[in-house]
Amino acid sequence: MSAAAGLALSLPQQLTVVALCALTAFVAHLALAVFNDGVRPFLLDFVQGRSTRAATTAVAFGLSAGFVFGLGAPMALASGVLNPWLLFLPTDVLGILAPKKWLGPLLGAGWGAVVVFGLGGANELAHDLPVDFLTAMREMSTPILYLFTLFPVLAVTRQFGRWRGAVVGVVELALVVLTSKLWPGMFPGALAMAVGVLLLIGFAVAKDVRRKGTREAPTAAADDPMASLFSAGAARLRRHLPLFMLLGAGICVLAQLKVFGGGEATSFLIAKGQYAEAAQVDFYRAFGFVPLIATTALASGAYGIAGFTLAYPIGYLMPNPLLAAVAGAAVFAVEVLALASIGRVLGRLPSVRDSSEQLRAAIGEALGLAILFGSLMAAHAMGGGLGILICGGLYLLNEAMGRPVVRMAAAPTAVIVGGVLLNLLYWLDLFTPLARVKG
Amino acid sequence: MAKILTGGVGKTEVAEAVRRLGLDGVEVTVSGDMDAALLLRDGRADYYLGTCHTGAGASLGVLVGLLGQPACHTFGRGVPSADEVEALLAEGKRVFGFALDRAEAVAPLVARAISVRAE
Repeated sequence: MSAAAGLALSLPQQLTVVALCALTAFVAHLALAVFNDGVRPFLLDFVQGRSTRAATTAVAFGLSAGFVFGLGAPMALASGVLNPWLLFLPTDVLGILAPKKWLGPLLGAGWGAVVVFGLGGANELAHDLPVDFLTAMREMSTPILYLFTLFPVLAVTRQFGRWRGAVVGVVELALVVLTSKLWPGMFPGALAMAVGVLLLIGFAVAKDVRRKGTREAPTAAADDPMASLFSAGAARLRRHLPLFMLLGAGICVLAQLKVFGGGEATSFLIAKGQYAEAAQVDFYRAFGFVPLIATTALASGAYGIAGFTLAYPIGYLMPNPLLAAVAGAAVFAVEVLALASIGRVLGRLPSVRDSSEQLRAAIGEALGLAILFGSLMAAHAMGGGLGILICGGLYLLNEAMGRPVVRMAAAPTAVIVGGVLLNLLYWLDLFTPLARVKG
Repeated sequence: MAKILTGGVGKTEVAEAVRRLGLDGVEVTVSGDMDAALLLRDGRADYYLGTCHTGAGASLGVLVGLLGQPACHTFGRGVPSADEVEALLAEGKRVFGFALDRAEAVAPLVARAISVRAE
């Protein structure tokens, strides 16, 4: 596995990122899609002229800035891989900000260039340091993969109680053991995750089907204003289908470049070259986001920049950019066309919507622990006990200060800061790097 | 009696946090954005507290669309002061969204302000 060279962006890759940022800013300018799920609900008033461009920009900036500097940037620096928070939250804001149609893509392209050159420079610098935190970050992938495997157990326990949670837990554990025994080449959690998610969805659907017998048609589906709001949203999105297909192609090509991770933890897997595992993680993660993205999109008439995020895993697995472009366009076309029916189905299945929220919470918990643990392992690899002291201390400090850095990114940020500090100590001759693992 | 509904990723935790306060004049129920939007619109509930990672996506969901932006407010990842919350309630805001990792601070603040108004 090549270390430093593998993550340097080639010119075609750089141009792809710049072009895609121009496109996403353009789409955001037209209020047709934004990456930030929180901004989407506010676009309805903007599109209908009840809210100004300036006011909407302020909302978008307020909801996004913290995630760019508190999640996107540290994750990119810690993994050396691009992520959607770093690329697309700023293009949301820049696109909405731009008063003219041509200015949006220009600003977006500018941001794309800043990120590409900035990250390239930072990566090179980091690998040249005597204490190399990017290589130490490779420690992340084991805790991420193995703890992520358990997220369906957490979700089932929270939604359906401890007994069913325990059953799913035992089943998953047995499958992990069985898989590593029978198919040593496969990721041991692959089968367990699939079965866990299927059980969760099965429980939820069963609950909704049972409920239907006792209750009349659920209010949400039968209600008129909601239905008309949703169908207006779906119709607006369908009118721009070609633009969405172009966007889907772009997102899928970006994922295919292997310099981009879509989920919170995926960047670390991509950085290590574990594409099949990354695809599984982001595929299951999508289940947690489909209902959220569908309802916010239908209610606002603006879609997600990455759609249902299914284009990520498909991109990781595609053999070349051309196929990725075709697949991405097809996925987005299907998603946009199916949006109205997905909304109707979700209205009838409250437990499935609930499951999706539990899934998102469970993924957050599992990844939160994995990233914290992996960061401490990286800190240990860099600087032994001193590394743990500095990085663990910084993490706790962030907690004590009311989390200026998003919890998920706090530990990797601590590793970066800790890495810089250890390098300073090395130059002052106060610290000797433990092992120099160099690519 | 002010009826508060909770929704979003941390709906159970928020409802419990509010219940633990044991406030007078406040009744809290776990709900979801779609159901809550209809209950609020029909006047069968008074306030909605939503949580998610941004403080506005799954938190507010369809509520902005159905109740209109003037009734909704997001604190994002910030924590407001008690005075700010009071001013927002006086303005007629009934739907509040905030970030999951700030919920322990924001939820009691909003619930207390609602309880004061309800008396």
